[in-house]
Amino acid sequence: MNGVAVHSALVCTETHNAICNIHNEATGKDLLISALNLYTSLTHQQVIMRMRLKLKTVFVLYFMVSLLGLIYALMQLGQRCDCRDHAKSKDQQISQLRGELQKLQEHIKTSQLSKKTDVPRIYVITPTYARLVQKAELTRLSHTFLHVPQLHWIVVEDAPQPTPLVTDFLAASGLTYTHLYKLTPKDRKLQEGDPSWLKPRGAEQRNEGLHWLREMGAAAKGKEAAALEEAVVYFADDDNTYSLQLFEEMRYTYRVSVWPVGLVGGMKFERPVVEDGKVVRFHTGWRPNRPFPIDMAGFAVSLRLILTNPQARFDGDAQMGFLESSFLQHLVTMDDLEPKADLCTKVLVWHTRTEKPKMKREDALQKQGLGSDPDVEV
Amino acid sequence: MPKRRDILAIVLIVLPWTLLITVWHQSAIAPLLAIRKGTNDGTETRHDTGPATDSKEYCSQDKDIVEVVRTEYVYTRPPPWSDVLSTIHVITPTYSRPVQKAELTRLANTFLHVPNLHWILVEDSQRRTPLVTRLLRETGLNYTHLNVETPRNYKLRGDTRDPRIPRGTMQRNLALRWLRETFNSNSSQAGIVYFADDDNTYSLELFEEMRSTRKVSVWPVAFVGGLRYESPKVNAAGKVYGWKTVFDPHRPFAIDMAGFAINLRLILFKPQAYFKLRGVKGGYQESSLLRELVTLNDLEPKAANCTKILVWHTRTEKPVLVNEGKKGFTDPNVEI
Repeated sequence: MNGVAVHSALVCTETHNAICNIHNEATGKDLLISALNLYTSLTHQQVIMRMRLKLKTVFVLYFMVSLLGLIYALMQLGQRCDCRDHAKSKDQQISQLRGELQKLQEHIKTSQLSKKTDVPRIYVITPTYARLVQKAELTRLSHTFLHVPQLHWIVVEDAPQPTPLVTDFLAASGLTYTHLYKLTPKDRKLQEGDPSWLKPRGAEQRNEGLHWLREMGAAAKGKEAAALEEAVVYFADDDNTYSLQLFEEMRYTYRVSVWPVGLVGGMKFERPVVEDGKVVRFHTGWRPNRPFPIDMAGFAVSLRLILTNPQARFDGDAQMGFLESSFLQHLVTMDDLEPKADLCTKVLVWHTRTEKPKMKREDALQKQGLGSDPDVEV
Repeated sequence: MPKRRDILAIVLIVLPWTLLITVWHQSAIAPLLAIRKGTNDGTETRHDTGPATDSKEYCSQDKDIVEVVRTEYVYTRPPPWSDVLSTIHVITPTYSRPVQKAELTRLANTFLHVPNLHWILVEDSQRRTPLVTRLLRETGLNYTHLNVETPRNYKLRGDTRDPRIPRGTMQRNLALRWLRETFNSNSSQAGIVYFADDDNTYSLELFEEMRSTRKVSVWPVAFVGGLRYESPKVNAAGKVYGWKTVFDPHRPFAIDMAGFAINLRLILFKPQAYFKLRGVKGGYQESSLLRELVTLNDLEPKAANCTKILVWHTRTEKPVLVNEGKKGFTDPNVEI
């Protein structure tokens, strides 16, 4: 009985199991399906939820990051960025630097000069002659003139025709210029061994400059003629040294203005002596009894005065030291001189002279035919 | 749909930031330059390149680094400055003599045209003279004013072979020392060092040629060595192999002081390199410095492979002041 019962129980359980199994299987599948269904719905839900969450967090994140970025940018504003060099290639850098440089140089050449158009023009007459230091002298002179607004440089060469050196130089200088030439006749010219004080130099060239100015003055009309009414003429030798303030002092000259000149006349400086705003005499150590014992660099003449006195010119045959007087005595008397440079107490121009470079070795080499390349312009 | 939104969101975030980052780097320079150029016409103060005060003190030396400020009505153009170009440090020794103010004036007129120029003027004097101080301030240049006095040549007992210290050596060495103390190797703005005497003549092109110096660059100089010009010999490969001079062409560096420029980094890298003070034969001074810095092979020829003259070794005549007499004819209070 028990056995059977057990057996039946077993069988029962077996069958039960079997049925259960079948049932389980059935429910397993169901379960699986239902489980899958649940899963998909869950993930769907989750995904939707995550999406919503993602968008929200995204926006929050965006806000935070942009805020941080703004703060960073504000901090960066005051500092230089160092990574630009790494980012660009060398070639790009070089071309960028070159472009910068050109821009800056253009800026230098044009900025102030073109701005001040309402000030009287200054015509500077410079006689020059070919010698070793000519290009150097003209170069450093041009550097000074580039700072002066409304300056018109009249370069007069002591030559039968314009030389390529001066022509090319003036074209590259960036200045407003007029290039003239006038050969000094042989009898008036200094010879090789002559001391510099033997014959006055540059008289013909300055007269040529004056002649050009007079022609231009006669041909000018309207606005140009009005500008010439106020213009000033200054005789600047190519080896002197000029301060920038000098040109501002001379710019407003009614007739003839005067000022001290340094390192001239065998003294530290020569100057007109001013009393009550008028020039009464000249303080100079060399021949103070000249009509105008003043150096060429110590006065400026208004263009109007030159145009209204067509006979005023430099006398090439004048005695040593009387060249300035030969010109000025036709134009003005000492009473009419206008003292500048703080009533002639400041030195704004120096009569410097440049040494002649020693060419002993060059000459020796030239004799051997081994001289330096003459094509290289010095 | 969620995927599209996702992508859209990501795109919306990433795009503006990439644009911002790429544009930012490029425009970081432009606004700064615009500021510089814009204020060139108005008043401008430029931040100085070094410390404003110096706590150390040397025997008779003082420092003065000044901010560039627009001053006189005449000098209405402050020297141009750019953050991109390298700075040229020009070292000029000077001493008091009648033509000093004239020389420095025309030198300053030339330097005012050169962008990014820093003038280191070293006086051979016990104290900084008011003449030079005033002149430097009025030019409006970016400058440093130093001074050191060269001991006058004195003959010691039994030491008659003590030769004179070549003029300007102590002053140049002081400037080199100042540079080494002021700049460290990590400073981002490049610098070039040039020794310019106050009586020479410099073209503006010269300064642009030397700006691209990597180690030491060289070029011809006119009126030295008794020739029209001296120049380095450059071979077809663009390398210097010799010196076209008559006076002792076998010197290690047969070149004039005005004929070379050194990159500041090299100066800082070799802090022991100075001009030799004593025992230097005539013409060997430049070599005494250069041989500690470079070899012949490292030299960079400029000025169209050393065929153009951009600097002239002019010398100014000593003015003959015979009429001053013993007591002085002119008012000694007037500065010349």
